Formats: sequence, structure tokens, C-alpha cells
Amino acid sequence: MPGPPYAELHCLTHFSFLRGASHPEELVTRAHELGYAALAITDECSVGGVVRAHVAAKARGLALLIGAELRLVCGLKCVVLATDRQAYGQLCRTITRGRRAAQKGSYHLERSDLESGLAGCLVLLVPEGEPALRAAQWRDDARWLAEAFPGRGFVAVELLRDGLDRARLAALERAAEGLALPLVASGDVHQHARARRRLQDALTAVRLGVPLAEAGWRLLPSGEHYLRERARLAKLYPPELLAATLAVAERCRFSLDELRYEYPREIVPPGETAASWLRQLTEEGARRRWPRGPSDSVRALIEHELALIAELRYEAYFLTVHDIVVFAKSRGILCQGRGSAANSVVCFCLGVTEVDPARLATLFERFISKERNEPPDIDIDFEHERREEVIQYVYAKYGRERAALAATVITYRPRSALRDLGKALGLESAQTEKLARAMQWWDGSVIDPERVREAGFDPDNPVLVRLLELCRELMGFPRHLSQHVGGFVISAGPLEELVPIENASMPERTVIQWDKNDLDDLGLIKVDLLGLGMLAAIRRALALVADYRRRPFTLADVPPEDPRVYEMVSRADTVGVFQIESRAQMAMLPRLKPRCFYDLVIEVAIVRPGPIQGDMVHPYLRRRTGVEPVTYPSSAVQSVLERTLGVPIFQEQVMQLAIVAAGFSAGEADRLRRAMAAWKRRGGLGHFEERLTRGMRERGYSETFAQQIFQQILGFGDYGFPESHAASFALLVYSSAWLKCHEPAAFTCALLNSQPMGFYAPAQLVRDARAHGVEVRPVDVGVSGWDCALEERPNGEPALRLGLNRVRSLSQAAALRLIAARERGAFRDVQDLTERAALERSDLEALAAAGALASLTGNRHLAFWDVAGTERPLPLAPALATAAEGRPLLAAPTEGEDIVADYQALGLTLGRHPLALLRERLAADDIIPAAALAEVRAGAIVRIAGIVITRQRPGSAGGVTFVTVEDETGNVNIIVWKTVAEAQRRVLLESRLLAVEGELQREGLVTHVIARRLTDRSVLLGQLVTRARNFH
Amino acid sequence: MAEPLQRRSRAGQAAAAQLDLLAPPAAVPLGVPLAVPTAATATAPEALAGTHELWLAAYLPGLAFEALQDEFTSTGPRAVLEDAERSPRVLLVDEAARRLGIRPGLTLAAALALSSELEMKVRDVSRERVWLERTAELALAYTSRVSLEPPDGLLLEIRGSVRLFGGLEALCRKFEAHCHASRRRPVCAVAPSPLAALAGARAARALRVTSMARLAGALAPLPLAALRWDEDTLHRLASVGVRTVGEALRLPRAGFARRFGPARLRLLDELVGRRAAARRGFQAAERFRGRCEPDYELESLDAVLAALEPLLIDLEHFLETRQRGVTVIRCQLRHRGQPPTCCVLRLALPEARAARFAALLRERLGTLTLAAPVRRCELRTGPLLPRPLATEVLWHPGEHGGDGATAESLALVEQLRARLGRDGVYSLGLYADHRPERMIHSVEPAVGEAIRGQVPWSATRRPLWLLAVPQALRERHALPVYDGALELVRGPERIETGWWDGAEVERDYYVARDGRRAWLWIFRERAAPHRWFLHGFFG
Repeated sequence: MPGPPYAELHCLTHFSFLRGASHPEELVTRAHELGYAALAITDECSVGGVVRAHVAAKARGLALLIGAELRLVCGLKCVVLATDRQAYGQLCRTITRGRRAAQKGSYHLERSDLESGLAGCLVLLVPEGEPALRAAQWRDDARWLAEAFPGRGFVAVELLRDGLDRARLAALERAAEGLALPLVASGDVHQHARARRRLQDALTAVRLGVPLAEAGWRLLPSGEHYLRERARLAKLYPPELLAATLAVAERCRFSLDELRYEYPREIVPPGETAASWLRQLTEEGARRRWPRGPSDSVRALIEHELALIAELRYEAYFLTVHDIVVFAKSRGILCQGRGSAANSVVCFCLGVTEVDPARLATLFERFISKERNEPPDIDIDFEHERREEVIQYVYAKYGRERAALAATVITYRPRSALRDLGKALGLESAQTEKLARAMQWWDGSVIDPERVREAGFDPDNPVLVRLLELCRELMGFPRHLSQHVGGFVISAGPLEELVPIENASMPERTVIQWDKNDLDDLGLIKVDLLGLGMLAAIRRALALVADYRRRPFTLADVPPEDPRVYEMVSRADTVGVFQIESRAQMAMLPRLKPRCFYDLVIEVAIVRPGPIQGDMVHPYLRRRTGVEPVTYPSSAVQSVLERTLGVPIFQEQVMQLAIVAAGFSAGEADRLRRAMAAWKRRGGLGHFEERLTRGMRERGYSETFAQQIFQQILGFGDYGFPESHAASFALLVYSSAWLKCHEPAAFTCALLNSQPMGFYAPAQLVRDARAHGVEVRPVDVGVSGWDCALEERPNGEPALRLGLNRVRSLSQAAALRLIAARERGAFRDVQDLTERAALERSDLEALAAAGALASLTGNRHLAFWDVAGTERPLPLAPALATAAEGRPLLAAPTEGEDIVADYQALGLTLGRHPLALLRERLAADDIIPAAALAEVRAGAIVRIAGIVITRQRPGSAGGVTFVTVEDETGNVNIIVWKTVAEAQRRVLLESRLLAVEGELQREGLVTHVIARRLTDRSVLLGQLVTRARNFH
Repeated sequence: MAEPLQRRSRAGQAAAAQLDLLAPPAAVPLGVPLAVPTAATATAPEALAGTHELWLAAYLPGLAFEALQDEFTSTGPRAVLEDAERSPRVLLVDEAARRLGIRPGLTLAAALALSSELEMKVRDVSRERVWLERTAELALAYTSRVSLEPPDGLLLEIRGSVRLFGGLEALCRKFEAHCHASRRRPVCAVAPSPLAALAGARAARALRVTSMARLAGALAPLPLAALRWDEDTLHRLASVGVRTVGEALRLPRAGFARRFGPARLRLLDELVGRRAAARRGFQAAERFRGRCEPDYELESLDAVLAALEPLLIDLEHFLETRQRGVTVIRCQLRHRGQPPTCCVLRLALPEARAARFAALLRERLGTLTLAAPVRRCELRTGPLLPRPLATEVLWHPGEHGGDGATAESLALVEQLRARLGRDGVYSLGLYADHRPERMIHSVEPAVGEAIRGQVPWSATRRPLWLLAVPQALRERHALPVYDGALELVRGPERIETGWWDGAEVERDYYVARDGRRAWLWIFRERAAPHRWFLHGFFG
């Protein structure tokens, strides 16, 4: 029994954080099932959930209203609905005003804000409380509403079976009497179904920060706040109130589809159009790139791209990106574009990228889809330390009203869900902690009952059952908005009429209420300004080389295609090199043996979860080594896959395959790409499978081939690299590898000065440099600058001098005073140093701990004795005569103590590796050094031990954990299968010094130990500070 | 109880870790006796020479655990935690916990990760203090000169007692056995200077040094951490390579004083007996006892009270000087040929004023009938407790029932309870819960629960007279019957809540009128079979 037509006008999603208990999609789906005429999404002072609702509503053909619930400072609660684009802009502006006027996470609005700012919106008064007590107040509120919003005010009647429905209705009728304020029915919906009542209660408790038992009357008394069947509503409400909802819905004609992005205009000089200006800049760039003029094919490509850009009117976007890049370059900030549109010829000409697209078979349609009104996407990497300058430039140029960062919606994950809900259910913090601890970074977004059992709980215990069920529901709920790492939205008009802007937690930062996916779904454009540590390191290394060799040296001066570089890379001698320094990359390098730039592009792209899960790695390697013949099912496919030996490795190859082998249009292929990226989250590749296999069959391909391609697409999922991306990265790979190969001192120096970055800590970087013959000199107050630097050796090659920046807890200001004082004359002793550099005790202790005073005092103990005895003199009094004081008889630190102190103060040692000191004891347990593995036959059982430097558990590896340990002779790569990892989880996770017994496995140059038993030997390290990096 | 306990000590840990291969133990300086007497290898006590004092230090490494041992319900693994609020850490563990790898210093989460059975208590410093004082009382059996060395040590000057107990070793053994019998595990050390004895004990070494001449040598290997200097000083000393007492003693005096302060130099001097150190004696009896035996038998309440008055004034003075109060006073009135009359006064808050005690005793005694005239009055208190500064803090103004809930109204409650008995007086509490049966309940008058947030208007529409258990109603034609068919006047009020504690309700409440026009509050269950119940009456 369907009941009368109805539109719900007051409905919260879970974007009313910790109030709404349903996803926007769930609400839309349910409203549609119930046959609602329309659904309004009215989150509290937010439009965070409307894009998702919009996408879902569009798919189902449900009319969606956009609005927001607002609670004013005076206590008045109302729902504001947007009637058209203009009203929507007013709503966003009002939300922005409220949000910007308050702390992050709250808002501040007064009646005057509504009176002045919502000229086009409908406003529903939501009266709350006991009718008998509040009748007078309601009457006043209604009068204000009728005056402030003539013809646009309504009184929401929310009958939720609190025992006073009849009284409420009567009181509201009286309140609105004679005021031309229609009464409308609404439901104050917090959840799509009754079944979410418990979660809603729990959310309330979490919001209040108390257990449910203490939440008391602040919980909703019943679960009536759901999307009710229309027949049920018909029993509660007079028919005219239900009919009134339709009248309201009728007046709201706004759809998010109307939002059209307008680009900023100031990037075009007067007298030019965006198109003419882009053409001019492109032509200029082309002359720079090809001084003798571009080839015909390049010329044709330029014309093709410009025509496409013009047709879709994306000129301003390219100009915006160009403008940012020009700014960065003018400041000497190294930057590089990548992303979907970056590797066009136009971008190459504009200087956004350095990869000559003529060398790559890019597929420009992939980036700009003609059929779909989808924006291009360019990410720009900047030196990470200087990205803020670029961000401030953007704010300054476009103003805060027009530029803002996209939000990142922080959602519930197993640990956070367990913590919050555990507390709500009254578990002790110790218990929830225990449960949360059982979830590891690799456990993903499901809570395995086994984990619960492991934590010592019975998953069948009723409290636990309740907890786990609620956790399952809560998973993926948003918790709060955070700022996206660098996704900027820049608009022509005020941004706040497009989407509300709120304060981020960082001062001087603002974020919009939508995230990256929301922007994508609406076709709004953003520019990603990202920080990349390697760019900073490369710039520094180039400068060091130029300075040391006394000649200009820029990225362009790095000689291309140097065989020695490829030899080094093929040996996996790549500690510190961009991207290919990871454990997985290092394992691949000796197999793939890159010989040219394009091999690096493949190397970067192939060691990705996508190709690994799509099972592309082994076929490629077999074909590359000639074990398997390179064949193609057709010449069309050959044209697509030839450069990767018939195995699709890049995202665009998959799309192109769909085009040439299955007859997809470019636009369809692009939809496939987007579906590929999202299917793990949303599913929905089914009809592509059908379309793909049918298309291939029609074109004479075998069923097996079609299935294989589809499986590869599935495997690719989110994780495939586009070729353009890989190419941009490969450039940095090559440049950093060249520097490591030819200028190892400068390269290591630059890496040290750019920390933290990369896979390896300074200790490993320095050890690797010394293994390559770089002389590394200790920190010394007599010579060290702030940064690590190069010094000349007698043989003309540079030595690396560690800088004062390596010294833990030494302030930069103190270091700079020290350097300035030293320029006026060398220090006589510690007292002299203290006085002239005006150092604090803490600075002196930091220097003593780092061994940086050795040239003044001798060993660390003496240094500390001297430091403890120095006094900052009073301004006028001369330093106390301390000459009479005797020199103490202090034992020199042992080697072990020095190593421990080195690690503590510098994070590295120039002395022996700690394990060298432990070798004898380890040898007693038949533990052999890493170097000795070379002598062991494959398949033998070995025992090794080392300091854990990385743990990695890639999602693509089926629960395998990769651990790298280090001893005094080198690194050992350990593979821990899931069963071993589960059985010895704690040892695996907590050991700093890990001993492993396992089987030696060798494949070419790559050696692994397959762990059988792990032992935690950390206690042998004593106070040694070690640091392992854990990766997904 | 009492497995050996592991105490958390950063300095101690550091020293232990350094002993691993990375930092071989510092060579013992020449000229120092290498053998350190331990409990097992304690050398025969040398003849007592000279006239200096001789100190026995007792260190209770497991104090925090011992003070709480009655609180534990399991026999292990057990741990005492440092602080419940800010990132709690393990302070002490028992042997069972130690075997599981639980170490002092671990975070709570880490400890729990190692054992889910771990029973944990948060340390209670005030109980530790009491435990230490009790230990001191016990020590008074060995010498009259006992001093507390909070937080975890005692010093006994035993020079005069050694002969009495049959020698030093015998004395030590006897004292230790005595402690064990009362569930304490001290580490005892003997030295001619109090600091040295204490340092020895705290370093967990059973020193037995009786001559000044051997003292410095015996102390040399002790870690400086045993002196309980602050972490910063210990750290700075360690950074110049000085970790033991011997190493510190070898530093140049002026240089040491300039860097680490003259006070620490003085402490070193006291340690090796170059300076005398004063100790403050310990007084036992931290409870009040008093009695009076009047010259004649007391036959009236007034006479008894008059006789008690000087005792109460003594008590007030006793409490005032200690800044303490009591909540329990036992008053025993002895008669001739009859069992004594007992009356126990219990107060809501620690109290120290004689006038209050007198007033309450008057109320309490007034309810008793004396079996015979009183020959003797005895007054004993319960343990001394810290006194809150003001009694007003219990009921904040503005809380439910809070207005005017000052010391006076609290006093009234106590007076009523003194007369009517403990259970005769309680408050009706309004508890924030949508479930009607949870909303109204009886509470201790002095511990009224604060109600957070506003009382919802629906609460004001409920009857005060609720049935303890809802009563099922018969039905006729699907409508409830109670004294005739019921007319549903208002409703439904839907209440669906309480799922989290196993007492979930899902009901529709109605206000109903019966045939005699009485107003009833009834509900219908939302779940099948949708029965009707009577839950209350409107007045």
C-alpha cells in the first residue's frame, strides 16, 4: 500500500558528522524504493553529501533537492532549500559565512545572516520542544519567518510519535495562523531505515564523548527518524500537509548539473583570447624545444591537441597550469607536471613537462574525453620544502574567495571504529585498545573475527557481536573533513557560490566541502600541487655539482642514455635513487636489466599492484629474455602493444586495446578507465565485460584472449600507471641514478639535506655512499656548515662533510650563530665557543652528544665535562677563571657507547656497524653475515640477523610481508609468508634486531631468505636507536 | 604473595642494557674490593667497632604492589600501573606477568597485547604511604629509632640492638622474616651511614658494612641511580662516563660541585660518612585511640557525652595537627557485668571537628538504650583520611536538588541517618535515561548523581508513581482492560532504547483512563505478541 505522494524535505546524511547514520546513496535508494516524489539532502550547515546523493539520484531518476539544516545562535532551527542556481549560491555563501566565523567543525549564524543572504531560498522553520511550553516562542519565530521570507517560509511539522503529535500539530497550526506560512510535513530523517537506530544512538554517544549509558536524554527516544513508508505517513499527517511537500519540492528546480566551472580570466593578457594566447605560448615553446622547427608529425599533433582543447574550451586550464609553473621556475623551484593531460605536446611546449611526447605513444583522447564533459587533470610536483611558496602564490593571485583546497574526507577504519564504538559501548579503554591494536595497517577495512579472537576476546560474546556489527556499519562513514594534500580549485567567480568553504585546522588554510571524487563527479577542475622530496634533492645535487666542478650544471646538462648508469641500475645498486630504490623495484631491476630510457618507464610502471595482480610481470619478463616468443593476435593489437612486447603494462594500453580490439569509442574507453579505477569501491564493470568480449569476438579474437584482457583490466583496478606518469617519473629516476653513479658525494649530500624522504634513513644512505668510496667526514664545530657539504680531497674528488643539520636537537639559529662566530676566528675551546656563539646549554649538549666538539675537547666524555663546566658570562663580567680546575680522569667511551651515541644524536655512525660488535655473539648461534649468503647454495637453511630497516606488506602480495634487515656486511631481503607472519606477528612487528632462520632462495642476482622462524634479538642492541620504515 | 617484583627504573634499565655487548661493563677501579656481599654470600659481620651509628635500610621494591595486594582477585599475571589518566604504564609486574614478557615501563596497550588475562590495578600512593607506615610500626620492634624514607624505604638505627638480637645477621634475618610474615619483601642493607645503607638497599644489594673504613670501597660499584638523583643529573653524569658511586667519588671535588651542585657533593660526603646526616624519627599510631574512666559510673546520656567531650577535643587536636579527618568513629561504653554497648558513627565525609562529633554522637546515642551504667568510655577512629577543603563541592548549585545543598543540609542528612539508620534515608534520583524504570531510582543522599543536559519535557509528563515491575494487562477486543475497558487518551509515545545494556525496551506508551476515571500509564510492546502493560499511575 503505497500511500499518498510525498517529498521528504528534511534529511541528514552521515555528512552531518556523528548525527546522520546513513550514506547519501542509501537514503536516495530507499527514498526511491518508497516512491517518494523527491528527497532533500539537508545536512547540518554542509553540502558535503550532496554530490554523492546527486550521482545516485540521477542514476535512479529521483528528484533531488539541495539544502542544509541550520541551527542559529539564538537556538532557532531551520531547513534552507535552494530553488535555483542563484539560491544555491546564496546557500553556499551563507554556509561559508557560518563556517568561517567559527572554529573548525562548528559554525556561527544569526538571524541577520539569513535575512540578508538567502533571497532566493525556501526556509522551513523546524520547531522543537514541548508544544505547551514553546507555543509562544513558536509564534514569535513564525512571525519572524513570515516577515523575513515572504512567500518563501514554511513551518515543518515533524510528527515522530513522542506522545505529543496531536498537541504539536495543533500548536503549530495556531502559530502559523494568519501568517501565510504553509505547514508542511517532514521527517527529521537521520537514517534510511529503522535498523540504523542502534548505530545512530552509538554515533550520538561518540559525538558526546560518553558511553551510551551516560548519553541519557541526549539520545533520540525512538528510531522514528527514518524514511517512513508513505502509508504510515498518511496515518500520521493530515493529507494537506503531505501534499504541501510536493508544492515545496516543485519550487526547487536546482540541479548540481547546472554548476558550470568558469576559469579564471587574469591569465590572459589584454587584447588576447584564451585560445590565441595559448597558441602563442605553445608556438613559442615549440621554437624553444625544436629550434629547427618541429617535425611534421609533431606539428600535426600540436594542431590536433589545440583543436581539441579549443573545442572543449580548456584553454584557461592549460594557461592556469602554465602560469603556476612559470612562477615556480622564476623562483628556481624545480617542478614537473604529470597526470592525465600532462604529457601532451602542448604541455611539453609550455614547459609543464620535460618528456617529449613524440617519444611516447600517448593517447591524448584519454586525457580529454570529447564525449564526456570531463576535465583534464594535471598534477604538478614541486620541491617539497618549497611547495608552500607556490600555494601562497595561488592564494595571492586568485584570492581566498576564488582558490581553495579540496577536502579529504577522513573516514572510519577498523581501528578508529573499534576505538570510538568500544568507548560508546562502555568497554574500558584498555579493552578497546587491545582490540584496536589487533588490527594492523595491512588488515584493510574489514574486521576479521580471527583478529578479535587473537586479541583475547570471544567474537561470539554478545557485546562483541554488537560492537562488530556496529563497526561493520560504521566503516567508511566520514569522521571529519581534512585538507587534500594539494588539490586546488580555482574559479573565475567567487568559489563560495559554487561550494561552501570552511576553515582547515592549519591556520591560513581553507578547504571546500567536497573531495576529489566529488569534484570529478561534477566535472569541476582542480590542479594538484604536490610536494616531492626528490625534486628538492635533485636541485640540491645539481647545485652542489655545479659549485664543486665550477661549471653550470642543470637537469638539461645531465647526459642522456649513459650506459654506466644503466649498468648500475641493472645491478640494483639503487639506494637513494628515485622510485627504483624500493625493495620490489630492486628485485625487478636485475631481471629487467634496463638499457634505455623507455626501459625505465616500463620498470616504473611494471612494479605496481596493477600489473602484478593483472599477471603482466612474468609474461613480460619471459618475452624480454626471449624465453617466450613475442606474438600478437592481430596487427591492430600489435600497434598498441608492440612497445611492451605484447603485454599491456600501461593504463592507456588497456583503453587502446578496447578501442582497436573491441570497437570502443575513445569516450567509452575513458568510461572504462574510470570504472576500472572505481570498481573495487563500487563494482560495476559487468556491462563492460559483456561489451568487451562481444566486441572482441565480433572482431575475430578468441574468447580466451578476451577473458585475459578483461582479467588484466580487473587486476589493474586503481593501481595502473598511465604511461605519461611513468615517463615523468622515469625522468627523475634517470637523473637521480646518473647523479648517484657519477657524483655520489653530491647525491648523498643532497639526499641528506632533503630529509626526510625516500625509503632509506640517513644511516643507510651514508653507509651506501661509503661503500661506493665516498669519504664521509664527521660533524665538527670547526668546519661544518648547517647543511652537509662537499670538501675537496687531495685526489680532487669531493668528500662529504656532515652538517650541523644532522645534529639532533640543535637549533638552526644556534648553528647559524656558531658559523658566523667561526668566520671571525677559530674557536679556542668550549668556553670560547659558548661565549662567542652565545650558545645555550642545550645546544652545547647536542653538539657534545653528536661528537661535534671532538676537535676542541677530545672524546665525548670530556666534551660533556667541558660543556657542563661552561658558563654563559654575564654581559660585563669576564668569564670566571677556571684554569685552576683539574682535568678529571674520565674513562674514554667504549666503541659500543660511541656507536649508540652516534645513532642517538646523528641517526648514523661513521664507526663500525653495530652488528660488527655483536658478530661474535651472533656467530655463536650460527648466524652468518649477509655477505656470506653469496657462498650459500640455493635451498640451504641459513640463519641471519640484522637491524630491521623496512617492512612492507603490499596489498598485491597476498599477505606476504617483505622485510629488509641490515648487518655490517649488507642487506638481506626476507620474505615472510602469511602463515609465518600470523604465527609470529609480534616478533615480526616489534623486533628492531631480527634474527631469521629460513631457506635461501636465489633467482639470478636476486637473493631472498624465506623465513621459517623469526626471533627478536632487540635486547642485544641496548639503547641503540633504530628506525624502521613501514609501508603498505 | 610475593614473587620477586620488577620495578620500573629508567636509570636501572639503562645500566642493564649498557651491560650488553654494545657497552661492556666499565672496568671496576683498582683498589676496590671486588666482592660485594649479597644476601647469599653475606660475609660474617665484622666486630662492631667505634661508636658511630649503624643503619639498617629496608627498601620495598614491591611497595606499590604490596599495598594493593588485597585488591587483586587473580593470582597472576598481575601488574600495577603508574597512572590511569595520561597514558598508563606498567610500574610493577609479578613473576607470572614477567614470564609473559611484560616489563615495567610498557604502555598499557603493549602489556595487554602480551597477555589478555593480565589483571591490572592503578597504583595508590596514599595506600603506599600507609603501607610504609605500617612497616615502620613493625620495625619499631627492633629499635626505637625508625625513620620513614618515602616513598619506599625505611631506616633503622640498630647499633644498640645488634647485641640484643644476637648479632647483625640474626637481626637482619629476623627482621626480614618478620616482614615476609606480614607480606612484605624488603631488601635490607646495613652501613654506618644512613644514606649508604639506603643506597645499598635501593641498588638491591645486601650490603653489610659496619666499619667506616670499608664504606667507600663497598659503595664504589653501586650505580648512581641508587641515590635517587633526578634523571637529568644522572643523565649528565652518565654522559661524562660516570655511572657508579666510585666513579663519582673520583671526580675533582670543585669541578663536581660546579657542574652538579654543592648539595650533591654534600650528599656524597654524607654517603661515605664524611658528614653526619640527620634523620627524623617515625612516630607510630596514626589512628586515634582514647579512653576515659570517670571516677563514678555514668547514668545519663548527658553524663556520657560530657565524659566523651575531652576525648573528642583531643581527637580534634590530633586530626588538626595531621591535617586529616575521619569518617568512622567507634565508641564503646563498658558496663559492669554486661557486654559493652557499641556505637559506630559513619560520616559521609572526613571530619575533624569535635563539635560535629559531639552532635552526631548525641543523636546516635539517643537512639540506644543503655543496659547499665557506664564505667568506661573508649573512642577509636578508623584510618585517617585527607580532608576535603570544603563540603559544599558535593552538590553544585544548580544541580538537581543542589540549590542550598551546603554543609548545613549535608549535616541534616547525617543527623537523620544517625537517627533513622543508614537505609532509612535516601534521595529520589532522576537519572538521564529514556527508559522510565531507569529514570527514577533511589540514591545515596551524599552521592547524588549529576544529571547532564536538560531534563526532557517528556519526563515531566510521566507519573512519579511507577510500578516496580510493569503489570501485564488483559485484553478485550485487542484493547487493554484494567478495572474495565481502558480509554487511550494520549499517545503513543514511542520509546525504543537501551539496547546496549541488555535491557532494551521497544514500547508505545499511552495515557489511559479507566472506568473509575483514574489515570493510568500503560504501554504496548512493539515486538510480537504486542502485549499491554500497566506501568504507573498519575497522582
